[in-house]
Amino acid sequence: MTPFPGMSRRQWLALAAAGAVTPPASGLFGRIAHAAAASRRRRCILLWMSGGPSQIDTFDMKPGHANGGPFRPIATTVAGLQFSQHLPKLSRQAKHLAVLRSMATREGDHQRATFKMRTGYLPQGPIHYPTLGSLFSKELSDGTSPLPDFVSVAPYRFLSPAAFGPGFLGPEFAPLIVGDTNPVPMDPGAAVDDSQALRVRNLQQPEGIGAARVDARLKLLGQFEADFGAERPDVPVRSHRTAYRQAVKMMRSESVSAFDLDDEPAAIRDAYGRNRFGQGCLLARRLVERGVPFVEVSLNGADAQMQLGWDTHQDNFDTVKRLCSTLDSGWATLLEDLGRRGLLESTLVIWMGEFGRTPKINPNRGRDHFPNAWSTVLAGGGVQGGQAVGRTAADGTEVADRPITTGDLLATVCGALGIDAEKQNVSNVGRPIRLVDPRATVVEGVLG
Amino acid sequence: MAVLGANCTVGGPGFFSKVTTVLRSATVLLLLATTCAAARGDEVVDLAAGIDGVIQRRLAAENITPAPVADDAEFLRRVFLDLGGRIPPSTRVRRFLADRDPDKRRKVVDELLDSSLYVVHFSNVWRKALLPETQADPQIRVLVPAFEAWLRQKLTDDTSYAEMVREIVTVPLAATGNPREISGQADRPSPLAFYQAKQIKPENLAASTARTFLGIRIECAQCHDHPFDNWKQSDFWSFAAFFAGMERQGRGGFLAAIREVADRRELEIPGTDTSVGPVFLDGSRPLPTQTRGARKLLADWMITGKNPYFARAAVNRLWSQMFGIGLVDPPDDFTADNPPSHPKLLDLLASEFASHKFDVRHILRSIVASDAYQRTSRQTDPSQQRPRLFSRMAVKGLSPEQIFDSLAQATGYVPAAVDRTPTGPGVPDSVRSEFVELFGDDSSRPTQQRTTILQALALMNGGFVSEATSLDRSRTLTAVVEFPALGTGDRVEALYLAALGRRPGAKRLAGLVAYVDAGGVTKDPAAALADVFWALLNSSEFLLNH
Repeated sequence: MTPFPGMSRRQWLALAAAGAVTPPASGLFGRIAHAAAASRRRRCILLWMSGGPSQIDTFDMKPGHANGGPFRPIATTVAGLQFSQHLPKLSRQAKHLAVLRSMATREGDHQRATFKMRTGYLPQGPIHYPTLGSLFSKELSDGTSPLPDFVSVAPYRFLSPAAFGPGFLGPEFAPLIVGDTNPVPMDPGAAVDDSQALRVRNLQQPEGIGAARVDARLKLLGQFEADFGAERPDVPVRSHRTAYRQAVKMMRSESVSAFDLDDEPAAIRDAYGRNRFGQGCLLARRLVERGVPFVEVSLNGADAQMQLGWDTHQDNFDTVKRLCSTLDSGWATLLEDLGRRGLLESTLVIWMGEFGRTPKINPNRGRDHFPNAWSTVLAGGGVQGGQAVGRTAADGTEVADRPITTGDLLATVCGALGIDAEKQNVSNVGRPIRLVDPRATVVEGVLG
Repeated sequence: MAVLGANCTVGGPGFFSKVTTVLRSATVLLLLATTCAAARGDEVVDLAAGIDGVIQRRLAAENITPAPVADDAEFLRRVFLDLGGRIPPSTRVRRFLADRDPDKRRKVVDELLDSSLYVVHFSNVWRKALLPETQADPQIRVLVPAFEAWLRQKLTDDTSYAEMVREIVTVPLAATGNPREISGQADRPSPLAFYQAKQIKPENLAASTARTFLGIRIECAQCHDHPFDNWKQSDFWSFAAFFAGMERQGRGGFLAAIREVADRRELEIPGTDTSVGPVFLDGSRPLPTQTRGARKLLADWMITGKNPYFARAAVNRLWSQMFGIGLVDPPDDFTADNPPSHPKLLDLLASEFASHKFDVRHILRSIVASDAYQRTSRQTDPSQQRPRLFSRMAVKGLSPEQIFDSLAQATGYVPAAVDRTPTGPGVPDSVRSEFVELFGDDSSRPTQQRTTILQALALMNGGFVSEATSLDRSRTLTAVVEFPALGTGDRVEALYLAALGRRPGAKRLAGLVAYVDAGGVTKDPAAALADVFWALLNSSEFLLNH
């Protein structure tokens, strides 16, 4: 397994050490290393930033350059690593964070980029690629949890719905979705109670219908399904069966109390932030704690509206500042809380959007779509925190060191989660598809 | 031919005559059979035969045995859902099954296409196609009532598709361009929401116009040359230049009035110093002598019979609406690397559409008359694997409106006043809008539609189905339980007809009669009937179109 046929790994390493050949920035060897780690089983929380967050105003500051904008960098608890002034709480968690500053992903259209980052592939003809949560929860699940293996909090699916579904893996791997309705405040200024939005409704059987009767009804339903489904192998029919099975399992489980955020002390709920994202992070912790392998929480807008909140073509700085305040409380408290409960070691937290923003500030004080050089962050389980990986040029317009593709990022995520990135699933067109694009390599130095 | 009133659905007096419909829109007019007579006659049979010819040849070439034509009950339920947006009332089912007229399928289709059900259902269909943004953006929903009222008016007046599109594209902005006045107003019909939903931006309007009416996704070319096709960035902005003259007036954001400079034709490509003038997508340009408004010129070019995209995109959308899968699929993505499954059929439908003055109902009538549409959804042969060859009918998910209206139909639900305007979301305490919200978001295609856990929970335990299956409160159930002189078998059959639009098979019926007679868990036959009804309403056969 070296780039040159006929050369042993040892010979190759010797040459590399002698400087005769350049080892790949992220390597084949990395892939071997992570395959060995496949015995670890971790959980994953994806913090999804709808619209594409600005790297220069968060994790890749360019102070002193015209592209840098008005925000100041602040020191973190890791020497030499700086974040934006609007991420003060997160700067105290820096030792858990690996900031990948050299994402280079090419797709600058929301729909295509969202699809690429959330499935690992570009939309291609008839193949229905599954979203990461479906892919990874399938690998991480031990099949025993009464809760769904994949919970999605507040996804904004409108532009690229296919990037949020189980694709060819089928309905069994679809997420349980909560908190995706728009808050419609009746009175202007009235607070939206996000704990209601995050709750799973209708878990109780109707009043006056005892458990025995529910069983009897479900038995009848099972007969009807057998009548109808026998000759109809279609997705909608199968998904109906799956959803009902999962729903019944949930109704009968104690674990659904995870969705009852009122169980948490008020101080904790405040710390996470009393907004959809913050409470979503709290819910993520409670779910992970009860064994749910994959939870994603979307940050769509500072005011909980469903939108591409980070799509700051105008008024970038005010918007990013507000979003950062929400992000900072939710994310930093999540890391702290996971750490306190001994869960951080076994939980990988991913922070990413579909792309970054242009270094150049446009005439509307905005930043536009920019896939050429931007940042994502990995934190917690399996990750060597307290570092920035890769580098962009002084003006931020290009990657200066170690370009990272979408596939590289996902291969690294697989490594951190203890999943074999080369594993194949059979797609809806009968072709086997690897979890991660086979050309990808694990980013060196990130895995702990 | 029954004359259809606003108070009764397509059904006569009978067992469930108390069932009234949710739909009582003031804009609904009564149409008589004469209005559709022009499109009737052998032309429908001819086009249906043309459809089957193409489909059949391909199936034969691929060695596929098509499924047989569906029985009457399966057919009736399907056309009601596809053309009327809800399941048939059980009285109508009984009448249809008993009818010996060999032409009864054709007749019920005519009846549906002339009914208020069709107007309301297809208003929903077009609204979703034209304003996909309303699913996600609650702001735009305030303009939906005016837009749906406009659509219903057009469908009621039998306006041709081409004229509808012309009116949308050329809606006068200066005169009616005050969104604040029409917001929330179902009595101010206007297609203006199309412009509002695209934020009055030339690039959004260009992208939506191309995609919705021509099936072409040129928006990728907005930022860079199109990765697959021949669209260059300049092509995109030249097309967008047809919308160059409009802007919001003053402050007020979303609901601000719109102003239009009718003779402005130049648009600057953002981030460049280049300005471009309007160019049609086929590369031709409006002549300098054509001084009419740019949008009018665009509408003329789009709907002319010579435009190769317009009719194809429209018939493909209709095909996709009826089969769940387009001939080109996804239906709004006509590109070189996404060819149609049956090119000749697409050509045939497009030319028929153009030569019939873009009459949507003619196309629907003919599609529905084809064997391809009338096949059973049962897989009857292992060769029927490939959905794009139409060897059996695909199983499709229902729209949220179809689910709710079908539940209402099956359970005899009488809506509160607030739900009688079929405009959907926005009213907080409305049962219907709750359903639309819960079942609403899924933007995936109907043949891939998934039931979610939350939907399953709502149907199993939620208030609506609980009431509908409660002995004190359910109209249908109460009628079935209390109707005197019925045997248990008749009662079970009545529930089947109400929910599934068919009679139960003999073996299943016997099992259910035994269950009800024994009284189920509570030893109470009435409660056991409620259990049966609950299970029927929760079944995939009820919740899907097949």
